[in-house]
Amino acid sequence: MSNELNLDYTLLTPEFCLAGLAAIVLGIDLFAPQVRKEWLPYITAAGLIGILGLSLGWVEKESDFAGIIAVDNYTTFFRVFFLATAAVVVLMSAQFVRDRLKNPGEYYALLVVSTIGAIYMAASRELLTAYISLEVLSFSLYVLVSFARMDPRSNEGGLKYMLLGAFASALLLYGLSFIYGSAGSTFYSDIAAAYAGGTESFDLALLMGLVLLLAGLGFKVAAVPFHMWTPDAYEGAPLPITAYLSATSKIAGFALLLRLFSSAFMPVIDDWQWMFAALAALTMVLGNLVALQQSNIKRLLAYSSIGQVGYMLMAIAALSSGTASALLLHMSGYVVTNLAAFSCIIAWYNLTDKEEIADMRGMAERAPLLAAALTAALFSLSGMPLFAGFFTKFILFQAVADEGFLWLAVIAVVMSFVSLYYYLMVIKELYISKPEEEGRLQVPLSVTGLTAALAAGVFYVGIFPRHLFEVAQEATNLLFV
Amino acid sequence: MQVLLDNYVAVLLAGVIGFILVGSALIGSRLLAPYSSSRQKETSYECGMVPAAAPIRSQIHIRYYLFAILFLIFDVEAVFLFPWAVTFLSVGKAAFYEMVLFIAVLGGGLAYAWKKGVLQWK
Repeated sequence: MSNELNLDYTLLTPEFCLAGLAAIVLGIDLFAPQVRKEWLPYITAAGLIGILGLSLGWVEKESDFAGIIAVDNYTTFFRVFFLATAAVVVLMSAQFVRDRLKNPGEYYALLVVSTIGAIYMAASRELLTAYISLEVLSFSLYVLVSFARMDPRSNEGGLKYMLLGAFASALLLYGLSFIYGSAGSTFYSDIAAAYAGGTESFDLALLMGLVLLLAGLGFKVAAVPFHMWTPDAYEGAPLPITAYLSATSKIAGFALLLRLFSSAFMPVIDDWQWMFAALAALTMVLGNLVALQQSNIKRLLAYSSIGQVGYMLMAIAALSSGTASALLLHMSGYVVTNLAAFSCIIAWYNLTDKEEIADMRGMAERAPLLAAALTAALFSLSGMPLFAGFFTKFILFQAVADEGFLWLAVIAVVMSFVSLYYYLMVIKELYISKPEEEGRLQVPLSVTGLTAALAAGVFYVGIFPRHLFEVAQEATNLLFV
Repeated sequence: MQVLLDNYVAVLLAGVIGFILVGSALIGSRLLAPYSSSRQKETSYECGMVPAAAPIRSQIHIRYYLFAILFLIFDVEAVFLFPWAVTFLSVGKAAFYEMVLFIAVLGGGLAYAWKKGVLQWK
C-alpha cells in the first residue's frame, strides 16, 4: 500500500445517499404523521431504486477508498443486489407494517441502514472495516427481528439472535486478533503477502485465528453447528424481516467470506479448505433432514435456508474463479426465489393470519395466483428444471466437482432430492387438500404485481441463466488475479 | 507464537504480584489487628445513617431503561472524546470536523428521542 491515501469521498456516494434516505424517512415519520403510514414504503423503495441507478455508474471502474473500501465490479454487483433486495422487502412490508407494526419510520430507516452495512461487508478490504460493517447490519437486524414489541415470540427471537450474535462477534474479534498477530496487518492484501512467505513460525496462531473466524462468521450465515438461533429468529421475526434475514443477511455474510478468503487467505488454502468442506457437508445434511419435520412455514424455510447455506459453503471450500462466479449466480437465484416465496406467504398471512403449513390447504382455490407463484418458488428451491434453482445448482455443483470435491457435490445432489419431499408436502396442501373456508380471497393489486414479477424473475434466471452468469463472472474475475 | 506470548509476561507478572499484594494485606490485617465483633459493627455502613428498612431489594421502574440508554450513548461518547482530545493537535482540522459530525449525529439521536416523547414520564 502506498503512503498516499486515496480519500475520494465521491466513491462512497451511494452509501451517503442511503444514510440521507434513512434520515429523510425518519424525518417524514417525525414531522408529517398524517401521510407516514401510507407513503413511507413507496418513498423508501423509490429512494432505494434511485440509489441503485446511481451505483450503476461504477460499473467497470476499479478504485478504493484509503485502501479499506474497494469500489470495483464485485462491490457494484453487491450494491445492486442489496439495494434491489431491500427495495423488494420494503414493498412487501407495506401492508404488513401498516396493519401490524408501530413506528413504520424506524422500521424502514433501519432496513436502509442495514443495507449500508451489507454493502460494506462486500466492499471492505480490511478486517476491522469488515467487522464494523457486519455490526451495522447485525445491530439493525437485532432491532428489526424484535420489532413486533407486543409479540412474545418476536421478543424471544430477537433476544436469542442478539445474545448469540454478540457471542459470535466476540469469537470473530478474537479470531481477527490472531490473524493480525500472525500477519502483522489488517489489510487483506498485506495478510496474503505475509502468509505467502511461509507460516511455520506461527502455525498455531493462524489455525486458532481461522477456526475462530470461521465460527464467528458461521454464526452470522447460520452454518451448522452454529445455526441454533436461526429457526427461532425466523419464526419470531415479523414476516418481511424473515425474508430479509434469509436474503441480505446471509448473502452479505458470503460476500464477506468470498472476498476475505480469496484475497487474504489463498496462500494458506490447505489450512482452511477442509474446515469449509466439513461445515458444508454437515450444514447440507442437517438443514435438509430437520426441515422434513417442520409444521410451520417460517421454520421450514429457516431449515431449508440452512440447507442452502450448505450448498453455498461448498463453493468457498472449493474456492476458485469458477466456483466464485457460480456462487454469485446461485445466490442471486436463491434470493429471487426466496423473495417470491415470502411474498406469497406474507400475502397469505395478511389475508388469513395463518402461517402453519396445514393452514395453507386449499390456497389454490382461494388465491390461485399466490399458490402458483409459491409452487414455482418451492420447485425452484428444490432445483427442478425450468426454474432458477436448477441451473444455478447445476452450475454450482459442477464447478465444485471440477475442483475435486466430487463427494460434496454428490451429497448436495442427494440432499436436493430430500428437499424435494418437504417442498412437495407444502405443494400438496396448496393444491390437493380442501380449503377450510370457501370463497376467493381478494389479493391487492400491488401484491399480485410484485409476486408475479418475482415469479417471472424465477423463470428468467432459470431459462436465461447466461445473462446473470456473465455478470457474475465479470464481478468475480478481479478476485483471482 | 513465542514472540506473541513474550509480550504478555508483563501482564502475567502484574496479575500475580497484584494478587500477592492484596492477599497479603488482607491476611496481615486479619493476623495483626485486634479483632472483636458486636451487633452494631456488623450492620452495613450507609454513610453513618441507620440502614434502610427491609426489604433491601428495591425495584427500579422499567421505564428508566430508556433514560439509561440515552445516558449510555453520551457516556460512550466520552470514551471517544478523551483519546480524540489527546491526538487532536497532531491530526489537525479533519479531526475537529469528524468529531463535530459525530456529536451532531448523537445530538440528532437525542433530539429524535425527545420529539418521540421518550423523556416524558407517561
